[in-house]
This record gives sequence, structure tokens and C-alpha cells, in this order.
Amino acid sequence: MNLLLQTLLDGLVLGGVFSLAAAGFSLIFGVMNVVNLTHGIIVLIGAYLAWSAQHFLGLDPLLAIPGIMILLFFAGYAYQRTLIQSAVDRSSLLASLLVTFGVALVLRNLLVLVYGPDFKSITPSYAFTNIKLGALSIDMVRLSALGASLALIALLAFVLYRTDWGRVIRATAQQDFAAGLCGVNVRHVYGLTFGVASAFAGAAGAVIGIVLPFAPPDEGHWTMKAFAVVVLGGVGSPAGALLGGLLLGLINTFTAQFIGPAFPNAMMFLVLVLMLMIRPNGLLGSAFGGSR
Amino acid sequence: MKRPLAIVLIGAAILLLGVLPFFALPYHVRVGQLFLLSAVLALGWHILGGFAGYWSFGHTAFVGLGAFAAGLLNFHFKLPPMLGFVAGTLLGGLVSAGFAALVAYPVLRLRGIYFAIALLGMSQVLGELAQNVDAFQGALGLTLPDVAPDALRPEVFFYYCFLALAVGSFALAAWIRSSKLGYGLAAIREDEDTARMLGVPTERYKIITLVLSAGLTGLAGAVYAYSLGYFTAGSVFRVDFSLNMILHSLLGGIGTLTGPVIGAALLVFVTNVLLGQLLDLHLLVTGVLVIALVLLAPNGLLGVARRWRERKGR
Repeated sequence: MNLLLQTLLDGLVLGGVFSLAAAGFSLIFGVMNVVNLTHGIIVLIGAYLAWSAQHFLGLDPLLAIPGIMILLFFAGYAYQRTLIQSAVDRSSLLASLLVTFGVALVLRNLLVLVYGPDFKSITPSYAFTNIKLGALSIDMVRLSALGASLALIALLAFVLYRTDWGRVIRATAQQDFAAGLCGVNVRHVYGLTFGVASAFAGAAGAVIGIVLPFAPPDEGHWTMKAFAVVVLGGVGSPAGALLGGLLLGLINTFTAQFIGPAFPNAMMFLVLVLMLMIRPNGLLGSAFGGSR
Repeated sequence: MKRPLAIVLIGAAILLLGVLPFFALPYHVRVGQLFLLSAVLALGWHILGGFAGYWSFGHTAFVGLGAFAAGLLNFHFKLPPMLGFVAGTLLGGLVSAGFAALVAYPVLRLRGIYFAIALLGMSQVLGELAQNVDAFQGALGLTLPDVAPDALRPEVFFYYCFLALAVGSFALAAWIRSSKLGYGLAAIREDEDTARMLGVPTERYKIITLVLSAGLTGLAGAVYAYSLGYFTAGSVFRVDFSLNMILHSLLGGIGTLTGPVIGAALLVFVTNVLLGQLLDLHLLVTGVLVIALVLLAPNGLLGVARRWRERKGR
């Protein structure tokens, strides 16, 4: 029984991080219909920035998050307005898939050149503190990671549903043409969306950095995980990302615990493929034309 | 291009490739071998991705299935090397095609990006299973005997194997394109719902095409496994295989016949010969190349050539 509960708890903690890491990906997919293969590398850039902040400035990774988000917001905005938009204009959406893949390769190479190919990890000052909940144990690092993830997802939901930026982003997602007729500068909104998504991806990277070790070649995994989360939960909404992420975290830990430590990835993709066939909209997704 | 001229040019190209090993250095034969393998894979992908417009991001699954079918056949039944090679290659193609037939109906109901990701997911599942299930020996690796006859150096032997496969794939692609199936696929690519309404049996055509494409890729995978001699799950289930097939087709020109071959030739030459000196920057240069390609030549090199000819003709 204890094993079951502990696995459940670990799964939820991992799932919280997955949710946050996927929220930005889901936003871009939902608003622009662009599958952003750069997503994983942006998450990693966030992790490396948090590592640098701690290493060179002695700043706690969670306190570095606002700075990372501001930096990546502008980078994401510029990236969308230059490369992604021209790819979308010139040819198909599948071509934007290839462009983002190319950018991911370039950035991965740059990360290797700057930081080296080895695994890095961030060790905050509270790394070795544990909290006991009856027979269950959870360390401070995971607890703060889960807390930060949930707080940031709530922040994203607030931005999307309670601010003017969020309103125009949602309007553009519904129908870009009609939004344009109502005076929304659609291209600017696309840039904003990309900026917001990149900011949250970077924040996710900082959180991931304190829980798991990371290296430049991991980026593909984070992109795929984001995709799995979106397919499970549904495109475009923070709630979908949260549900999908928590489910994926549970699938991961339960598979590792009860089937074998080598199988979480296979199980994840199996669920992904089955889900695509049974309900491509995701659990919380609305009917989405692109899937059929 | 005039039809007789095209046939003469293609014949000359095949002849040139046929005599190349007599002049070239062993390293260049290896590069040629890689080019021919890439051309087979790109042609196999392109039957589905280029003609029908169904972009698969997981075709490496079929390379892996072919390789493991051949490897496990050799492991369990000690056939004489040459017989094992031929039987293994055929089995590789069959297993790939059979698996494709099994999954074809459900995955082909998905379209666009969802189809692409479903196949990517499928290839990852198969790769992880090959790696982690002991019966497949993907983590330990499988060893295959040397099958090159004594008269030929191994790299020359496999060069000719891949050349034969490439010519066969090209002929298959040419046949498909000019057949009723090819016109049906083009209709599916342009507008599937309309095609279906006009009486094109879209489901059947898509399934046939996926099975052919997978079978071809499986054959190539089996021969590739033999050319390696020893392989693990990681050396045949490779995301960059899936990606290169797309890039080569895109570089040459989607929907054209010679596009995938031209794209494969150019990209293999650039990455292996020109970039050989820049190992640290390999990913960076490849990435920049991909970006430039999509932004500057979205219809591929043949698209650029066509535009140039039209401008000159005017």
C-alpha cells in the first residue's frame, strides 16, 4: 500500500513538471497550429540559464525564474516574427516543422559549444532536506518543484483568461481572420504567443534543472514529452496541459515501478499512439479540425 | 524534359554509378554506398510522403524491422551465409510490409501532423521494445556473417546491392507515378475528400502505398544490417534516418520522380565530404542548411529549376 502511495506521489511531482514543460508547447500548437520542435531546446536553455545564475551569481534557481522568463519572452517574440512567420508565409505548416527542427539543431550545437556535452545538475541549498508524511517521504527539492510548477501554470491561466493579452490570444486562436477584422494585429499576437510560450518553457527548464540532470541531447525527449502531454490532455488550454502532464507522470512512475525501469518511454509512446487513434482531441480538447 | 532524353540521362547515370567502384577510392565507394542507401530510403518514403502527401516522421521503424528480421533469422537458423542474406533481406521486406499492413488502417485515418507524430511514436515504441525486450537482443546487438564473395571487396559488394535496390525503387516509383494508383495518390494529396467523392478508393490506395513504402524500406534495412555486420537497436532505429528521408525528398522536390535521388546525392556529398573537417559544427551547419532550404527553396531544387526555365522561356 505504501509503495502504491509513494509511486502515486512521485508520479504527481513528476507530472507537475511535465505539465509546466508542455504548457507553452500546447499554447503555440493551439493558437498557431505550429508544432514547435524548438520547444525542448528552449526548456533546456532555461535550465542552463538557471545553472549559470546559480554558478556565477549564486542565485537560487527558483528566484532566477522571472529573469529567465523576461529574457526568453523577447527571444521567443523575435524568433516568431523572423523565422517562423516567414516559414508559415512561404510554404506549408509542415515546412515550419522543418524550420523549427533546423533551429533546434543549431541551438543544440551552440549549447554543446558553450556548456559542453556533459550532464549538468543544479543543487539548491535545500537539496538534502526531507519531509515525512506518515510513511511517505518527499524531499524539499521535489516539493518546491511541484509548487513552482502549479503556481506557474496558474499564472499562465491567469494571463490567458484574465488579461487583455490573453483575450486577444484566445480570439486569434478561435479565428485569426475574424480577429484581424476586429482590429487585432494578428502577427503581433502570434509573436506574443510565442514569447509567452517561450517564457514558460524557460521557467519549466529552471524547475526541471533542480529535479533532474540535463544535457543538450535531451531536447528531443522534452519536445516529445510535450507532445504526449498535449495529445493526452488536449490542445491549447493550461487545464489540458495540467491533466495530461499529471497523467503522463503517473504513467511514467507506475510503469517504472511495476513493469520495469526500462519501459516508461515505450509505454508513453504506446499511450500516445493509442490516444491519437481513439481520441485525437485529447481528454479535454474541443473538436479540432486539424486532426482529421 | 523530353521523355527519350530523360531515359537516356537516367540510363547514363546508372551506367556511371555502375562503373564508379572501378575508379574510386574505398572511402568514396563508402560515400557512394551511403548515397545509394539514402536514395532507396528517400524513394521509399517519397512514395507515401511525396505522392500521397502523408508525411511519415517514423519511417526508421521499417528500417529497424527489416534489420531485426534479417538479424534474428540468421541468429536462430544457421543458414549458409549467402542464402541467409537473400532470405533475410526478403524476410525483412515482408515483415516490414506485414507490420505496415497491420497498422495501416488505424494510422491512415489520421491526417497531417497527427499522422506524422503517430508514426514517430510508433517508431519510438518499436525502438524501445527492440532495445529492452531480451528476445530481440537489441541491446546486446546481433552479428551477421560476411556475405561478400571473395572476388569483391565488401564495400564494393554492398555498393552494388544498394545500387540494385536503388534502381528497383526508382523503377517502382516511376511505375506508380504513371499508373492509375499514382494519379489516385496525387488526387489524395491535393484534396482527399474531393478525391473520395469522385470515386477514388482512397483507403485502399493509401494502404497499398504505405505497405509498398514500408516493404521497400524494410528491404533496405535488412541489407543495411548486413553491410554493418553488427548492429544494435540504436544503429537501426535512428531518428536521423526518418529525418533524412524527408530532407532529401524536400531538397530535391516533393512529388517529383528524380527529386529524392538528387536530394540524397547532394546532401550526402555535402555532409560527408565538405563537412568532414567541421565535426564540432556538424549539427549547426546541417541546421542552417535545413532552414535555408525551407525558406529559400520550398519546392526543392527541381522547383527552382522549373521556375528558372519558365522565366527564361518567357
